[in-house]
Amino acid sequence: MSIQPIIRVATDVGGTFTDMAFIEVGSDGTQIVRTAKTDTTPPNFEQGVLNVLERGRVEITEVGFLAHGTTVVINALTERKGAKTGLITTEGFRDSLEIARGNRPDFFNLHYQKPAPFVPRYLRRELPGRITYRGEERIPLDLSGLSAILDDFKEQNVEAIAICLLHSYANTRHEEEVIAAIKKYWLDVSVVASHQINREWREYERTNTAVLSAYVQPIAEQYLSGLESAMDRKGFMGNLYVMQSNCGVDNLSRSKRIPITMVESGPASGVLAAAELGKAIGEPNILALDIGGTTAKCSLIENSEVKIVSDYWIERTPSNAGYPVMVPVVDIVEIGNGGGSIAWVDEFEKLHVGPKSAGALPGPAAYGKGGVEATTTDANLLLGRINPEYFCGGEIQADVKASTDAVSRVASQLGIDMIEAARGIVRIANNNMTNALKLVSLNRGYDPRDFTLVAFGGGGGMHGVALAAELGVKKVIIPNGAAVFSAWGMIMSDLRRDIFVTQLLDLQNDAWRILDELLLQVEDQAIAQFASEGVSNDRVSFRHLAKMRYQNQEHSVEVEVPRRPLSKSSLSDLEIRFHEIYEREYTYRLQSPVEIVGIHVVVTADIGRFELSKVKVADAGCGPETAHKEIRDVDFAQEGVHSTSIYDGALLSPGMEFEGPAVIEDSGATTVIHPGNKASVDVFGNIHIVLTEDSNG
Amino acid sequence: MDKDPITLEIIQNSLRSISDEMFAAMRKTAMSAIIYEVLDMGTAITTAEGELASSGAGIPAFSAMLDKSVRRIIELHGASGAIERGDIFITNDPFYGGVTHLNDVVLAMPVFSGEKLIAWTVNIAHWNDVGGMVPGSMSTEAKELFQEGLRLPGVKLISKGVVIEPVVKIIEANSRLPDFLVGDMWAGISAARLGERRILDLIQKYGQDVFESAITDYMTFGEQVSLAALKNLPKGRFQHSETQDDGVVNNVTIEITDTEFIVDLRDNPDQQGGSVNSSRDGVMVMAQQIFKSVTDPYTTCNGGTFRPLKLLTRAGSVFDAAEPCAQGFYFEVIIRVFDLMWRCLAPHVPQLPSGHFASICATIIGGCHPDTGRWYTIVEPELGGWGAADGMDGNTAVFSGIHGDTYNCPAEISEARYGVYVDRMELNPESGGEGEWRGGRGIRMDYRIRSNESFLTCGYTRSKYAPWPSNGGREGTPNYIEVIRKTGEKEKFSSVTGLVVDEDDVIRVITGAGGGFGEPEKRSPELIQEDLQNGYLTLERAREVYGYQIDA
Repeated sequence: MSIQPIIRVATDVGGTFTDMAFIEVGSDGTQIVRTAKTDTTPPNFEQGVLNVLERGRVEITEVGFLAHGTTVVINALTERKGAKTGLITTEGFRDSLEIARGNRPDFFNLHYQKPAPFVPRYLRRELPGRITYRGEERIPLDLSGLSAILDDFKEQNVEAIAICLLHSYANTRHEEEVIAAIKKYWLDVSVVASHQINREWREYERTNTAVLSAYVQPIAEQYLSGLESAMDRKGFMGNLYVMQSNCGVDNLSRSKRIPITMVESGPASGVLAAAELGKAIGEPNILALDIGGTTAKCSLIENSEVKIVSDYWIERTPSNAGYPVMVPVVDIVEIGNGGGSIAWVDEFEKLHVGPKSAGALPGPAAYGKGGVEATTTDANLLLGRINPEYFCGGEIQADVKASTDAVSRVASQLGIDMIEAARGIVRIANNNMTNALKLVSLNRGYDPRDFTLVAFGGGGGMHGVALAAELGVKKVIIPNGAAVFSAWGMIMSDLRRDIFVTQLLDLQNDAWRILDELLLQVEDQAIAQFASEGVSNDRVSFRHLAKMRYQNQEHSVEVEVPRRPLSKSSLSDLEIRFHEIYEREYTYRLQSPVEIVGIHVVVTADIGRFELSKVKVADAGCGPETAHKEIRDVDFAQEGVHSTSIYDGALLSPGMEFEGPAVIEDSGATTVIHPGNKASVDVFGNIHIVLTEDSNG
Repeated sequence: MDKDPITLEIIQNSLRSISDEMFAAMRKTAMSAIIYEVLDMGTAITTAEGELASSGAGIPAFSAMLDKSVRRIIELHGASGAIERGDIFITNDPFYGGVTHLNDVVLAMPVFSGEKLIAWTVNIAHWNDVGGMVPGSMSTEAKELFQEGLRLPGVKLISKGVVIEPVVKIIEANSRLPDFLVGDMWAGISAARLGERRILDLIQKYGQDVFESAITDYMTFGEQVSLAALKNLPKGRFQHSETQDDGVVNNVTIEITDTEFIVDLRDNPDQQGGSVNSSRDGVMVMAQQIFKSVTDPYTTCNGGTFRPLKLLTRAGSVFDAAEPCAQGFYFEVIIRVFDLMWRCLAPHVPQLPSGHFASICATIIGGCHPDTGRWYTIVEPELGGWGAADGMDGNTAVFSGIHGDTYNCPAEISEARYGVYVDRMELNPESGGEGEWRGGRGIRMDYRIRSNESFLTCGYTRSKYAPWPSNGGREGTPNYIEVIRKTGEKEKFSSVTGLVVDEDDVIRVITGAGGGFGEPEKRSPELIQEDLQNGYLTLERAREVYGYQIDA
């Protein structure tokens, strides 16, 4: 074993700030953890990364592992700043991108406007040739028209080409031939075919996914190359990884080729961090909740496994069909409800909170930067939950008068007093978040009472306990360093790829052979791919899931496949597991025949692990009173006003225990502990809050 | 527990989430594509008396249908004390609360708090086959309801939590697709039970009294929203008459006052011998939908929403048909009423675009899957073009105005599931719908049949009279089906039942472009050039309609 220190760093480039988390594990096992924050520096984002590393006093030449998270992909999509893209489809299907699925979610609105396709019709071209759903060639591919198409694309200054042919999920050959022919004719154009991203059926979704990947590829490649050369110039010798949407990281070459998989990398690292924390402290079943300034995101973790799905949309709202992106994305529900969400009263005197947010500028009224609208943060301030003298970690003085004015305006519209309005804002915000948590739990057949809530982000500690009480959750954990928890998640990542392949199989006869063969084929391809990227076979491991349903249903559930090699009895094992999982999720089971619709293979490559470090315990005999700052009145909404102990988060130490009502003030976040709750600090510095029977619902 | 406004609001939010949750659960577990993909389904919570409290729906029409079912069930069983905890009632009969056609099956479950009936959870979904004279149960040739399948007249399917097996057996025995049917039935049962559990949780948490206040308050809110929106609508009596494809003339008068929205459909033809009739309830749902669309399309819709709406119909007319007339294609009747009301109001209400393809374009294709040997039936509505509005070209390829979050079936799935080939799914190139703002395109889709002795049934309207334009725009293009035989011979249909099609025959679905808005001469040259570049317009047509000349 090496005796060199292990240094891992994560950098996360957001719209406003670039964050960094740094961990050094010394040869004696001691750990040093540092975090830093600087401004994001568009368009030269790598400068911000170098700045934050410098501010964090990171010796770049000694870093072995650098994980990088970025919003470059989602920004290029939402701001429509990608490359001019051409599309090649099967004859008869160039309009698939424009027809989409024909749905109109905003259904009473007859003035609805359908989202416009990312490739206009004149840049969508067709090639003859057909594969069947069983992967057989029915009509040979005819490439004779390709050169004319490419000449035209050149003339139109097309920069990237997407290819999606019918049934390419079942047989990739025609798509491969088109790529090869394009490369031969036009070497330096960016090309991607749908099967390189996803091998599931539904031509519109796969086409759109390929189109969006092509659309962002040049800009993402430029971004990542810029980062790579900037790091090289500083003498970086380690491995650079890029955070993906599936709670894993991937290497640079793959991320440059298929950048679309980065689309939701931000939320993914937070969910992963919650799962990893759960493993460290023996909590396998977790509801992860990240409350930021503008939104709250939640996800369910079962048996320490994050849930990865491939049906994801951008810009999808109750009034917009959005655009599907069929890539592995952590299963999250996101709502427009965070600390900066604006409270407003409609013409029927109903109070709403969000989804509009005061953002970073002007921010909540309390920031004193000219914000006049009441936000959740203002309500929390007026209820005494946030300390005006210790606002934003003591960096600024809260503008209590501005908050009072803002919330009073809401109060007068409702005809109630200011404190009642503040309570109302917090209760409505909590109700919105409770509904989001129900969507990932109750709606999917899980009872939230069987889960522990891990709440993080700036507002996690503020609202976590109230939400838990509403849902009957018995325990809430506020992680140590909740504000940079996501960056910490990136440091804990494995190299991970989620591969989905559609394959219809009746559960009979030699189906197990076909399944076994398909799994083996996917494994071999993954191993070969990793090998070509310098990741050796022995570090790669697999998890196999089958997507199963009753024959003719549409939606499938994922069932863990027994260890390969499979045998005849594997099918009956699968069927038994399917019935159990199905019944849990849907409350009944049927006698109908069961079928497999496809597979989901999780491929992970170990890139070095380390243990979470324990926090130094304070001197023996030090009780929580050493961290006690003061007593002040805090309003717990429905539970009324209580004289409450305030603790300094920085002085809490493992083993300390105390009871609510209490508030913990930390530099990044405030934690509110309701009357009757019991709080304790674990060996890693996380705060555990146990709710009593009474406080539940 | 107090009845402060925030608590009431939280309960109302919860009711919305419960109906959405029931919807999601049912959609996920359904067996039939027409439920999980077309979303020919809906879920709702009603008050004890059957007033709509909250609904979740994929098709807007279905959101205001279920209160009518519950009220009929109460009428049938309420007096006798036969409504008990754990019961689930089943109906599909328009004369027993079924509202639409026999394929749409309603399951309704009373929710009791202690001894008191406090609410209902209810859902509706299109079952693929409920018997009758043709596969899929819908025939354009049916003369009586009896020919359209098994009538389930609001009886119990489950009594005090126990499934009444004989009833299930009778239903199963009457379907050509009993496996689908049982799966779809359980999807509905579990959704109703899920809703019951969630409502009981709410009552336990806030108390029955507060729960009931929240519902009453919610209805008042719904009414307030509608009344406020009525104030912004033009006042007066608006009338429109329109000739239908079959030559019949339909008439509507809409009167809008500060407090009322009265739809008068009394002056219309007698009910027909065929299946193109609708119950009054079905027509009411359309009136509710147009009312909601022109008042406030965005907030929740509940019983209070529709209090200002009055509907006048004449019993025995095509819009208020009497027992036992057939109703299999009721939806083509109600979309005609919907389009008629839309057209009547469009000149006065700017958020209403020009006419869209305005047909369900119900297409039913069945036969033997050549690879699996299993019987398949495609039952699907089609996508089409929408009309232009001031400042906006019409949408291309969207489901009809009485659909909502409905999804079409991907070609890759059709080919696997049904064993047909989809040769093309593209925009319909026929010219039409031009204007200062142009209508959106319909589609052209080819199903190539792979087994002999397959069949086609369809019932399209707006096949003769194309979608209507506004303000001097051009009309759109018609909807129809073309069958191209292996021999190359072509036949054109708008309505046909059980047409035999064989291997390598092609069924070509063609749907119309929407109507244009404003005079074509006013269209900007840049937009005309874009249309030309994208092939939405031919040069010849550009010259003819827009007077377009290429710059030298």
